[in-house]
Amino acid sequence: MTTVIRGHDIEALVVGVTLLGSGGGGDSRAFGRILQRRLGSGDLELLDASDVGHGYLTPVGVVGATSVLTEKLPSGSEFAAAVHAVSRWTGHAVSGLMSLEAGGLNGLSALVGAVDLGLPFVDADLMGRALPRLDQFTWAVAGRSLTPCALSEPGGEVIVVDHIDPAGLERAVRSFVVHTGGWAVLALAPTPAAAATADAVNGSLARALALGRAHANLPVTAAPADVAEALGGRLLGGGRVDEVARYGVRPHGPGGAFGRGSVCVVDGSTRAVIRIEAENEYLMAMVDGEPVVTTPDLVCVLDLRTLQPIAVDAIRTGDEVLVLALPGPDWWRHRDRISHVGPRAFGLTCEPLLLEAS
Amino acid sequence: MGLAPTLQAMLTSPGWREVVVLGGGQEPGPSLVGSRILMDVAGHPSPMAGELLVVLLSADHTDWRIDALISRASAAGAAAVLFAGVEPLGRGAQLLADRLQLPVLGSPDPLAAHEYLNRVTTEPDVVRADLVLRAVTELRRADADLASVLRTTSAVLERAVTLAGSDGGTLAGEPLEPSERPALAAALPAVPVAWAAPYRVDLPNGAVLIAVSVLGAGPVCWLVARLPGVVPAEVAAVPAVLTVVAPAVGQRLALRRLELERDARQRTSLLGELLHGEPSEATRRRAVDLGWQLDGWHTGIRIGADGQVDVAGRRTDVVEAFDAEGLQAVVVEQGEGWSAWITAASEPTATQVQQQAAAIRRVQRHLVQTVDTYVGVGRVQPGPSGIAVTLAEAGDAASLARGRPETGRFLHVDRLGLAQLLLAWTRTDTFQPAARALLAPIEGQPGDLVGTLAVYLDTESSLAETAAVLGIHRNTVSARITKIQQLLGVDLANPNERLALHLACRTARD
Repeated sequence: MTTVIRGHDIEALVVGVTLLGSGGGGDSRAFGRILQRRLGSGDLELLDASDVGHGYLTPVGVVGATSVLTEKLPSGSEFAAAVHAVSRWTGHAVSGLMSLEAGGLNGLSALVGAVDLGLPFVDADLMGRALPRLDQFTWAVAGRSLTPCALSEPGGEVIVVDHIDPAGLERAVRSFVVHTGGWAVLALAPTPAAAATADAVNGSLARALALGRAHANLPVTAAPADVAEALGGRLLGGGRVDEVARYGVRPHGPGGAFGRGSVCVVDGSTRAVIRIEAENEYLMAMVDGEPVVTTPDLVCVLDLRTLQPIAVDAIRTGDEVLVLALPGPDWWRHRDRISHVGPRAFGLTCEPLLLEAS
Repeated sequence: MGLAPTLQAMLTSPGWREVVVLGGGQEPGPSLVGSRILMDVAGHPSPMAGELLVVLLSADHTDWRIDALISRASAAGAAAVLFAGVEPLGRGAQLLADRLQLPVLGSPDPLAAHEYLNRVTTEPDVVRADLVLRAVTELRRADADLASVLRTTSAVLERAVTLAGSDGGTLAGEPLEPSERPALAAALPAVPVAWAAPYRVDLPNGAVLIAVSVLGAGPVCWLVARLPGVVPAEVAAVPAVLTVVAPAVGQRLALRRLELERDARQRTSLLGELLHGEPSEATRRRAVDLGWQLDGWHTGIRIGADGQVDVAGRRTDVVEAFDAEGLQAVVVEQGEGWSAWITAASEPTATQVQQQAAAIRRVQRHLVQTVDTYVGVGRVQPGPSGIAVTLAEAGDAASLARGRPETGRFLHVDRLGLAQLLLAWTRTDTFQPAARALLAPIEGQPGDLVGTLAVYLDTESSLAETAAVLGIHRNTVSARITKIQQLLGVDLANPNERLALHLACRTARD
């Protein structure tokens, strides 16, 4: 079944990919507006892998400091430059795009790239949600090489990277974006569609659209439990944010590259204490001191009044919020894979706690 | 359960000085029946009813695992949790501790806190033996003075230790809270027996006073330790320590007494020599050693004491009373009271003598609080032999003053000199009927007019002083004097009439 995106779906899609972002992944509204303008009255099909036959797919997306995007705007040619560079390096023509990451702004950036390049878009991605590191790409976890790949930044600089492991690629990407525009488009090697999608999360954007539509259909007066049910998740509680603590970078092992923080919410009716540990995304939620949900499931914080998702970097003391847990991508629920995205991958010494499979 | 202290009491105990409450605080908190160790915050405590859970590796108090552990400890039945470090808890942990009503503590040395709690809850005998042994060892090193013994005891117990009188008044050491004195005084017997068990006084505010009697020379006093909370092992150990310390305190008191008596005897014998003729070279030297100035102008003062008075022990009070008035007096214990004299380098003027007499009078009033005295003051006499003369006058004046409450039991020989001669004459049979006739109009009038007149004339016609001596208002004195003048038809400003009346008053009252 193919899904078609039209202009009026964009708003729901933005909410959907933001929910998949679990509080991180960057602000998707900018790409939402760009996509709206590019699409006009046209539409965009979300294809299955089988729809592109034996063609080659390239995953694309934005890496680096996504918050810089709101100040340093795209020139419009980054996707073309990166895809052409990697295509030229590998000698394979690109016959379709897929996404690096489904959560946050990268849920939409690859769509913009597909429209710009006039290429079909396959609804598959390498994370199924938002995650902070390149070694958390499904390809890397499945043992597939991430190189060769190409980076292009808004100033026009392009680099092609090859023969390097995910950790090395992470370093290369970081040093590149730090010394250029703060962010860049990353295009991985064109890969035969069947292989490319076999080691990827399929259907994330369709899920995002469904989540967004369910969210849009919620009445203004929806009770917290109804919100959770409509989104297919579990309500952890709702109330006032009592404290947002940001601890800065800690030497926690693998998760130590990002600043740790925690959000403390006191449930309005039960007075239960909900604590959410966060880095770039909300990683783990505890109720009354007991961990209840961890990555790779999604912890979402919604404004109690508007039901809009609140990102990690936007939440403030005094906000009235709902805390929900949504199931994460099934792809990660495999016992060989979960260690790459479970709480221990972020330095939280806790076993993964997941919702019942939906 | 008998040995389980409350959390509040533990927080005031010496071994837990560094422990602070980080969250979930409550009064008086749960009873702590023991202490259990958990290596780090990731650990899972086994079920534990009413014990303290001590987590050794838990320095980061904002870690989510602190929250998780608080939750697990509460589920396991812990009475409280103690983490390493005293940094404040994260907000979530604080809210959680309040919600679960689980006190969360912090200490820079969690292991020490654990061991101390375990000792007081499971090995009270060890606590007691340890404290007693330490007290014995430390006392051997204490200095000879009483303050040092109390300080050492206080340091061993890490509690305030006081030497108190039977009324709870502080004799040495840290003063007792005034509000806690009555409860202590009520619990202590007036006459303790040597073998009496230590007294325990539970105060309404939760504190406990432990009192052990000190029997030595002089009146009984009490060695009192104040424990701000009931840690049963400590409450059991402190009486044992105080019982060991009490004889040491008694010995210090006896030594001090001995010193006092020796000094007193030395002073008394030296004074005895001074009173018997011109002092020898040796006597002069000993006087200089004691800081006595033999040359100059001396004013002798005799302070007699009524009743059983510890003359040597109370000497300090007398010296302090003189000091308070700025009088540099030499005070010597003699018989039932003290002989004292004040030495001036040059002959004092009449005004100075008056001022000095007034100051001595104030000294006497000051002493009334502790001793009932009668005071005589001699005239100013020069030289070493002058001491004997002025003291003899003071002695005479004192014996006169003793029977004369209307002068406030105070007489100054300067005022007495002539009067004494006249006094001898007034005792004759010829004068007495005349005197009675003179005073007949005011005899039997309301308001003791004869007495008032006598005091008024004794005090040199001072309304204020008459009022002070009789303990009545100045205006009352004034009204009585006016009435006396009207009834007698005399003018008290007339010296002749006044003298006659003064003598008549003496006769009438003697």
